[in-house]
Amino acid sequence: MYIDPHIHVVSRTTDDYEAMQKAGIVAVIEPAFWLGQPRTEVGSFKDYFSTLVGWERFRASQFGIVHYCTMGLNSKEANNEPLAEQVMELLPLYVGKEGVVAIGEIGYDDQTEAEDKFYRLQLELAKEVDLPVLIHTPHRDKRKGTIRSMDVSEEHGLDPKMVIVDHNNEETVKEVLDRGYYAGFTIYPHTKMGSERMVEIVKHYGPERIIVNSAADWGISDPLAVPKTADLMRKSGINEEHIKLVTYQNALTAFGQSGQMDEQDWLNAAPLDQTKKMSGNSVLRGGQTPRVEGSSDFVEN
Amino acid sequence: MKNQLTSFLTQLLEKSSNQKGLDWLEKQVEKIAFNRTPSTFFLAFSQASRFFKKDKLTISADSKEQANELVVGFQPEHWDELQTARTVLMLSYPQEKEAWFVAMNQLFETADMHEHQALFAALPLMPFQEDLIPRAIDGLRTNISLVFDAIALNNPFPAKYFPEANWNQLVLKAIFMQRPLYRIQGLEARRNPALAAIARDFAHERWAAGRDVMPEIWRLVAPFVNEMYLEDLKKTLATEDDLQVKAALLTLRESAYNEAAQLLESYPDQVATLDMEAIAWESIGSEFQQTRV
Repeated sequence: MYIDPHIHVVSRTTDDYEAMQKAGIVAVIEPAFWLGQPRTEVGSFKDYFSTLVGWERFRASQFGIVHYCTMGLNSKEANNEPLAEQVMELLPLYVGKEGVVAIGEIGYDDQTEAEDKFYRLQLELAKEVDLPVLIHTPHRDKRKGTIRSMDVSEEHGLDPKMVIVDHNNEETVKEVLDRGYYAGFTIYPHTKMGSERMVEIVKHYGPERIIVNSAADWGISDPLAVPKTADLMRKSGINEEHIKLVTYQNALTAFGQSGQMDEQDWLNAAPLDQTKKMSGNSVLRGGQTPRVEGSSDFVEN
Repeated sequence: MKNQLTSFLTQLLEKSSNQKGLDWLEKQVEKIAFNRTPSTFFLAFSQASRFFKKDKLTISADSKEQANELVVGFQPEHWDELQTARTVLMLSYPQEKEAWFVAMNQLFETADMHEHQALFAALPLMPFQEDLIPRAIDGLRTNISLVFDAIALNNPFPAKYFPEANWNQLVLKAIFMQRPLYRIQGLEARRNPALAAIARDFAHERWAAGRDVMPEIWRLVAPFVNEMYLEDLKKTLATEDDLQVKAALLTLRESAYNEAAQLLESYPDQVATLDMEAIAWESIGSEFQQTRV
């Protein structure tokens, strides 16, 4: 069993969902992010947030995967201040919803004043509704941006245990762990981490508070990054207990602090029944045979 | 009415839910009525999922009767605890028309799937119902069966308010999604020639594609059987499928068309074993649903 605690499944296909389920992924967390280009209307945010708690959650359930999400205004779009103000008014409508496990992903991109302003406002929102925070650390000037994210979070009085600092690398991990935060690692080709480097980090730092994710989205990325990295850890002699911590348990412990994510959600899930999704305009088109999984049988499509 | 409904629903919850949830609910109801701001209401509506489960209510025969006296067609035996609690919260928001619609529109537009389920199922308990018709019609465009069911099944709202075209669209979509038609309130009373023709076209489309036809579909045809429909029913009688045959026979039995009665006479044994009409359609519908799971 694996959890991918950072994946933008709205951008992925049903083939991906099937492959993820087969590879052992039982739950995913979809952080609210941007769409690859900036939105220009607050209504686009509203419909996106609604998708995260509506259609995408339903779609995932059709493939036997439990879908959670985080809600927030991402740092890139924080730079359109008039729009960002409107998004801030929208967020209270969503942060209390079922299955919203954190405020995120928030933090810095270019590290502008506007980014700083909305990051701080959302830290306050997280405190108010008692949710964990998922911090997106910048691609550029990463080390400084990561440290600044933690400094500001502490300035606002957040407990590091309630904060997951994501997209770490060899340069940031030590300080993030030393200061008591959860450290997320994104296995994403070219821009972030590769699986081999991840294995080395777990060997060096141990499994405590380390969380592996794919951050798979609309770019060249891999929705199977978590199970693939787990396999590589196995081949490299990392023990099962440690693998479980970094690819399942730590994510559950960190985001479970929301009270919105419980192992029973997938362990006691109703058997997979694609007939619920119906024919026609749903995920299954007319003529496709639904996949129905009984308690003891499994019919492949 | 609002207060009667609230106390009735609260009583139902008292039979099923935990004290912590009930205390929380009572506090929220007071807060919503006192603050009168949408944000208090929205937050409580969302967070109800932290206090109430999605277990079905346990309903006595008396309560069923009482529900129907309060609102004709209200069937809380199909409701779960969470949606009941959310309906209590909804009813506690001040019902001043303009402000009510501003808040409710926002709630409908930002709801997650279980919140949608609660809102749409509660349409017959809401104020200003005629102004909510477009909302209900739009809600049926969902592809999430949970939400579709909340409007279409065991809900008196569509039969009471929908114009014919939208009513027909509801029934057709229920057929297309293979939902249990016998759970659509007012299905029999609102049969119409256009719907019968739509049902027939759909059956032909299924046959052309080599797929079977949902047996309950023929119930829509019964009052309008003529030479054309008779051919379809003959074809259905020729299938080996017991449910299909039963459905065709029930349709013939209800029909006033002469040739229908004649055709029925050639199936004396099967006709003898048919139930009373209403029960028979329900059992065909529920048996068909079981073949699908």
